[in-house]
Amino acid sequence: MVIKVDDYLDAMRGTMDAFLLEKDLSAIYITSTIPSQSIKNVLTILEIEMSRIYFVDCISHIMMGTAVRSEHVSFVESPTMLENIMLKVEYLMRSIEGKKLVLLDSINSLAIHNNTKILSEFLHILVNNLRAKEAYTLILSVEEQSSEEISNMLGLVCDESLNFTETK
Amino acid sequence: MPEAEEEELNAAGESRCITGIDGLDRILNGGIPRGNTVLITGSCGTGKTTLSFEFLLHGAIHDENSLFISVTENWEKLLKNVIPYDFFDDSLLKSKKLIMIDLGAIYSKLGLEKAEFTMEDIDIIVRAIGDIVREWSIKRLVIDSITSICFQLKTKEKIRDFILSLGKNLSEAGCTCILVSEISPGEQSYSMYGVEEAIADGIVLMANLQRRGDLLRTLQVVKMRGTMHSRAKYVLDLTSVGVLLVPLLKGGSVPGGI
Repeated sequence: MVIKVDDYLDAMRGTMDAFLLEKDLSAIYITSTIPSQSIKNVLTILEIEMSRIYFVDCISHIMMGTAVRSEHVSFVESPTMLENIMLKVEYLMRSIEGKKLVLLDSINSLAIHNNTKILSEFLHILVNNLRAKEAYTLILSVEEQSSEEISNMLGLVCDESLNFTETK
Repeated sequence: MPEAEEEELNAAGESRCITGIDGLDRILNGGIPRGNTVLITGSCGTGKTTLSFEFLLHGAIHDENSLFISVTENWEKLLKNVIPYDFFDDSLLKSKKLIMIDLGAIYSKLGLEKAEFTMEDIDIIVRAIGDIVREWSIKRLVIDSITSICFQLKTKEKIRDFILSLGKNLSEAGCTCILVSEISPGEQSYSMYGVEEAIADGIVLMANLQRRGDLLRTLQVVKMRGTMHSRAKYVLDLTSVGVLLVPLLKGGSVPGGI
């Protein structure tokens, strides 16, 4: 899903409404942009029910001191540890019952820490693995931070591209 | 043929010991060929004991009597330190589906508390382990670690003799065995004495891989007699739902490095 920076909060709310409420899914939220605690705070303000949202936080550790252990949060030491992100998602896929949405927020922040080759490989394996497990995968891409390489990468693994501004 | 046994046969009709570790069974094309002696080798902190213990737990849960022989530390202490698996149940110990023994207890029962073993001592130890396996109808055995036993054997001839006799004895009893082997970090061979790796039917190498400052736990099946298998490197995580494996991403490889 392509979003503009200014639409970030609206996109988050829209996503949670569409998938968690309407489709009755649990969410695995991979965050490499903002620490999970900050997202939790925002979601609380937006009055979004949090009991079915599980975070894979790969940014707090490298921000030194923001990785506070809390319920529903698994930490990955660095966004460069892509295999560990896959492992944490796999763990949650096994631990949580019912259908799931896996939200990757965002491909642009992962691209800051990883080269295109390894990131493409990661996406390819992650998305196909989740597809086989019948999970929905939603990849956020911020328009202002995107590039041709990122667009090509997303084109390879995504079934559909949603432009949030258009669909709003 | 009972249903449980039917499930253990792969497409080629060979009998497999399903480890219960999803990723590993896939790598091994259905599990370890039954009766194989497999060396799980790696330096400290790579997950050898945890992986081996999970192999036994799955066996015990699926009604295969499983035996853990602890060489280096007291088994009760070991149990406290392994990952608290969601599927671990104390009743497995009480019902003797899962049996934990300290090798020291076997040594003292046999009167073998000495610094160096003779060939006769080796025969006695192998026979004692074989007797326990037969008496309790053990189908899965882990010895943690073989390196500590080899330390008391001193010569390569004795080590070869010990592992060969043990492997033969267990294979005849239909028991699939994991020997945990300790090596130093950065070691080029797969075992401390260089003999263990040549004799074992299989070698699973566990390691710590450093990549751009990150330390990843990896697993690679180097050899496994009796089955086709992947030889690629996988990254693993030790979790409460068991050992999880994903392929090592290769896009980040550096020339001459990993």
